[in-house]
Amino acid sequence: MSAVATATPLLAASDLEVEIAGTPILRGADLQIDGGELVAVVGPNGAGKSTLVRAVSGLQPYSAGDVRWAGRVLAGLRGRELARMRAFVPQRMPVPAGVVVREAVTIGRSSHLRPLRRLQGEDRGAIEAAMARAGVLRFAERQLSTLSGGELQRVQIAIGLAQETPVLIADEPTSQLDLGAAVGIATLLRGLADEGLAVLLVVHDLALAVAVADRAVVVSEGRTVVSGDPGEILTSDLLGSVWRADAELSAVDGRTALHVAWLPKEGVRAP
Amino acid sequence: MSAHGLAIRGAGVSMRRPLAYGALMAALLAAIVASLALGAVKVPVQTVIDVLLGKEVAGPDRQIIETLRLPRMVEALCVGAALGVAGAILQGALANPLASPDVIGVTGGAGFGAILIIILFPGSIALLPLGALFFGLLAAAIVFAIAWSGQNRGSTGKVILAGIAVLSLFTAGTTGLLAAYPEKAPSAIFFIAGGLTSSGWEEMGSIWPYFAAGFVAALFLIRPLDRLALGDDVASSLGSKPHMIRLGAAVAAALLAAASAAIAGLIGFLGLVIPHLVRMAGGSSSHTFVVPASAIGGAALLVAADTLARTIRAPIEMPVGPFMAILGVPLFLWLLRRVV
Repeated sequence: MSAVATATPLLAASDLEVEIAGTPILRGADLQIDGGELVAVVGPNGAGKSTLVRAVSGLQPYSAGDVRWAGRVLAGLRGRELARMRAFVPQRMPVPAGVVVREAVTIGRSSHLRPLRRLQGEDRGAIEAAMARAGVLRFAERQLSTLSGGELQRVQIAIGLAQETPVLIADEPTSQLDLGAAVGIATLLRGLADEGLAVLLVVHDLALAVAVADRAVVVSEGRTVVSGDPGEILTSDLLGSVWRADAELSAVDGRTALHVAWLPKEGVRAP
Repeated sequence: MSAHGLAIRGAGVSMRRPLAYGALMAALLAAIVASLALGAVKVPVQTVIDVLLGKEVAGPDRQIIETLRLPRMVEALCVGAALGVAGAILQGALANPLASPDVIGVTGGAGFGAILIIILFPGSIALLPLGALFFGLLAAAIVFAIAWSGQNRGSTGKVILAGIAVLSLFTAGTTGLLAAYPEKAPSAIFFIAGGLTSSGWEEMGSIWPYFAAGFVAALFLIRPLDRLALGDDVASSLGSKPHMIRLGAAVAAALLAAASAAIAGLIGFLGLVIPHLVRMAGGSSSHTFVVPASAIGGAALLVAADTLARTIRAPIEMPVGPFMAILGVPLFLWLLRRVV
């Protein structure tokens, strides 16, 4: 499924360390992605998944390690250059009053505009294409405050697409969505990867990760512990050691499921 | 209700903004004409227009308009626009609907600077605008130095808390000075209550560069502020540094508010209320709309209020603050009632 790997990966990060207020959050994390690849970053709460993708995106300063975008060191990139490399889609953005979808997506294009310069034809084309691809044209004139969670997530992805970057990074885009909306977002992201985009996805839902990702990167206690085909690496043993849960992933007819022992076996309940 | 204010249901977004612009421009033009025509001597509107167009006008009307009313109207226009813009960019940058030039310490500093000149150097009253400007910017600089250092630099909470602390400090200084020299208090009241004077072009001559710098900076901040409205993460994704956008907005607002205080004393209310009024009227919190519309709305309100303040009990001049409230509050409350 993945495209031909180039000599220089689009994103290569190694030995990344991040401290927040003196507490080490990342203690040695590696991450790589190339065009056409959908990589899922998975791990328990507090393991450092979001911190990892924020650090490589330039949203979170790191204390040690190396991050390169298309071979160029992150620290050496100006904001405008970085904005042409990757788009970061937060879990949920604030919703300013009275702003309609089309305006919000237009803001996503602003990294391509010179200060005070108006939109060019090329920019309008990119905005329309981003809205069409993310499936938001139907409600393009509606105010953000009237959208459902799934619709708003699509708008956020459209904002990222308007940036026209080779890499799209989405931080838990489905965790607040209902089933149908989550399926829609998963399909959209998989489709974007199939069209050649590199998609980096932070996700809690392991069944979703197994279904859509080419590769999973498991983060545990600030370290990337294993990376590979999600169906192969997310074993029952790993779910036990990293998530401390008795669980197993299964895939039948393209449907994936996570089977969890919610209560201790032998019918013994906690007193 | 979001931190960026409120929107009214009703007319579609596409029509609301042109209508709001039209209404604001009409109000501004009406206020400008009224301010030039009305006063101790009433000048017919046709004569006002002739003077502005440079046509021959008989009698003293030309002199009254050109040397007394025009400079004062231009001052009111600049101060009103400056405070409207300062409020709009601060509320946007700090994502806080209660932000105004007060919260970055400017007003407190300017008040202290002016009272210092009035009390300690009564012979050099011409220094008052510069004293207000200097201390207004000094107070803002202290706020920035504290809020943009250490952990979480430039966070909204840090800026607002530092601003309120510095405001209290300078207000205490002002109150202390007035208590120590009670006999000088009456001459300070006009500055504290806020008001314009008919002193010609002199004040604007030394203050205009600060207005100009503030307005130009605000123009460049419109697009970054729209990014910031979608959150720090989206702004960062687009290559901006959120704390630098906030610093830029705070510096621009400090320049505009300090220059305003230098010309017209402490005019509260306008910077806080005009951006909300504009957002509610236009049904949008997009800065592409709110910043220019706040400039027009602020200018219209202050020019109109100043005209009332100097004509209602002529020849006695009243402070402009209360009249701004009389004109602005009913409109504000009417719009607030219709908010979703």
